Amino acid sequence: LVMVDVAVVGAGQTKYGNHSLGLKGMWAEAALNAFESVDGDFSPSQIDEAFIGSIAFGGSQLGNTAALLTEHSAMDGVPVRRVENACASSGFAFRDAWMAIKSGQADVVVAGGIEKMNDLTPERKRFWLGVSGDTEWERLAGLTFPGTYALMARRHFHEFDSNHDDLVHISVKNHAHGAMNPLAHIQKQVSFEKAAGGFMVADPLTLYDCCPTSDGASCVILAADHVVKQFTDTPVWVRGSGAASDRLALHDRPSITQIKATAEASKKAYQQSGITPRDIDLAEVHDCFTIAELMATEDLGFAKRGEGGAFAREGRGVLNQGDVTINSSGGLKSKGHPLGATGTGQIVEVFKQLRGEVADGRQVRDAETALTHNVGGSGATCAVHVLGRERQ
Amino acid sequence: MTSGTDVWKGYLLAWDEPYTLIQSPFAKDGTRVFGADSDYTTLAIAALQHRNTLGEAIECISLADGVNGSIFTMATGVEMADEVTYDSCKWDLLIGDDATVVLIQRDVQIELPELETHVEVDDDFHMAIANAWEKELQDGHVSQGAYVSSSQYIEGGVARMALSGQQFGELLVWPPRQLNEKGLREDGRVSLTPVGNVASWTKLSAAGAPSEFSLRAPLLGGLTTVLLDLEDGPKGVFLMVDDEENVIKIGDSVELVVRRIYAQEGMIRYGLRGRII
Repeated sequence: LVMVDVAVVGAGQTKYGNHSLGLKGMWAEAALNAFESVDGDFSPSQIDEAFIGSIAFGGSQLGNTAALLTEHSAMDGVPVRRVENACASSGFAFRDAWMAIKSGQADVVVAGGIEKMNDLTPERKRFWLGVSGDTEWERLAGLTFPGTYALMARRHFHEFDSNHDDLVHISVKNHAHGAMNPLAHIQKQVSFEKAAGGFMVADPLTLYDCCPTSDGASCVILAADHVVKQFTDTPVWVRGSGAASDRLALHDRPSITQIKATAEASKKAYQQSGITPRDIDLAEVHDCFTIAELMATEDLGFAKRGEGGAFAREGRGVLNQGDVTINSSGGLKSKGHPLGATGTGQIVEVFKQLRGEVADGRQVRDAETALTHNVGGSGATCAVHVLGRERQ
Repeated sequence: MTSGTDVWKGYLLAWDEPYTLIQSPFAKDGTRVFGADSDYTTLAIAALQHRNTLGEAIECISLADGVNGSIFTMATGVEMADEVTYDSCKWDLLIGDDATVVLIQRDVQIELPELETHVEVDDDFHMAIANAWEKELQDGHVSQGAYVSSSQYIEGGVARMALSGQQFGELLVWPPRQLNEKGLREDGRVSLTPVGNVASWTKLSAAGAPSEFSLRAPLLGGLTTVLLDLEDGPKGVFLMVDDEENVIKIGDSVELVVRRIYAQEGMIRYGLRGRII
């Protein structure tokens, strides 16, 4: 059995934020941007298979979401399905697309994601924001995701050398990166003092520790090695794909200061790609809350366990200044978090970074290898991908 | 059997051989009133739980109207009397005009003691909470919160109300699994001690609280939730109750008491909530 290698040959997205467009319009825009990003000739009729991640937030098109979207993006007749894994939906859609090509069943596959979040009343929005946590026990204990991540943060502060100021550093960094990203939801810098004094959402997490709720869509095109040349001379190779799941509820996990699914998924992705965390030049990390980024730097191996606070404090994730650039896009905190679109949105960012196509001082210097990290809920699911300019 | 008075599960208590009297610690204009998340059902459960600590094996009880019998049974394991079993039951549970419940041996005539201690509640707060519960319970009120169906709620009821866990060999698990770690059905249910230490905690602002609490969270100044390391091993996440004055720290001891959580589809959902000891 000869396994094919897989590359990303096109990637596009909408701007994240409050969109006047609905589901159909946003998806069409992201898909068109992806089609147009392909260097060579490309037609949607070449697509063999498609996977679209979405929670179907708001329930407006809960069933058959994906078929509605392909109908509106010149992808009529393409076998498609919605992939739902909470905020990791399109990270897993990307993995499914990669597996479809790896298995030899398809040569050209689309992976994408979409979420429309800002057309609901605040009450309905809070309902949908809570559907991916443990409904039966955590939710009935008054917890939403800010609450679950707040529990993790306070425990991390208790067990290790970390504190809320470390989270503020992460917020300030990601806003600084996002301020340079024209596709980001919040394109403004924030001072340390302002971020430190934000409105308390779930003690100890303030507004500046939480990502916004965003509308947006993202779309990437993957191709098998034997057809890549048709599309581009500068593909971005998918060198490793790892995924894992963990217990849904915090109370069923041995530790709440580590996302086990992240550690497991990254271990597989590193192993497959034959690299270590030190080889990563940039990482798009799932910072739905600043504490999530702090823990991810540990779980992904950029910092030792318990040293994520120092990593943030010392600026080791700052663009072109630290060990590895973390969230050059602004991350979920600043670029935004349209739940289902986030995973493939991260791929869009690293695709452009690895091809040297990022402007406005946001380009990561000499970027050769990148990682994406997409988490579902409070860590029940996780997909990690390693991508590179080199095939192996 | 000794007699005495005490504070028990957040309520005031007096007991002697033939009775247990339990009252809300809150009062308005001299009349006992319920706290934000208490009612006759939660008082009745606390009374029976106290009686159990005295070594009294009550198997059957006649409940007054106003006490939710199925919740009472899930929380205590004690059956309600029906027409067939009424005569064989030796205990009655009576409710007062105010926030008082008495568990008493049938046909015993006794003058109950007066419990003096009370906390005067703010009139506006009390009315606002009562109105919020009333609105939550109306048929037409559709919760925008998490949908835990009645069957799902009842399936987990004993675990939720009586802290019933499951023994898998050396491993003690709560809440129980449908299948054990080998994929088999196994029913090694054990009751866990309803006490633990705070492993972590958070206070959600009213704006950040789940929408099923949206009527009451603003009145309560937000919601406090703790992750507890239970004394017997497992962990659990619990909403605190009557905690407006408490400042929580990691390591604090917390006891679990049955209280209201929220209402959905006209049904009050009860469960264990935390109180700092």
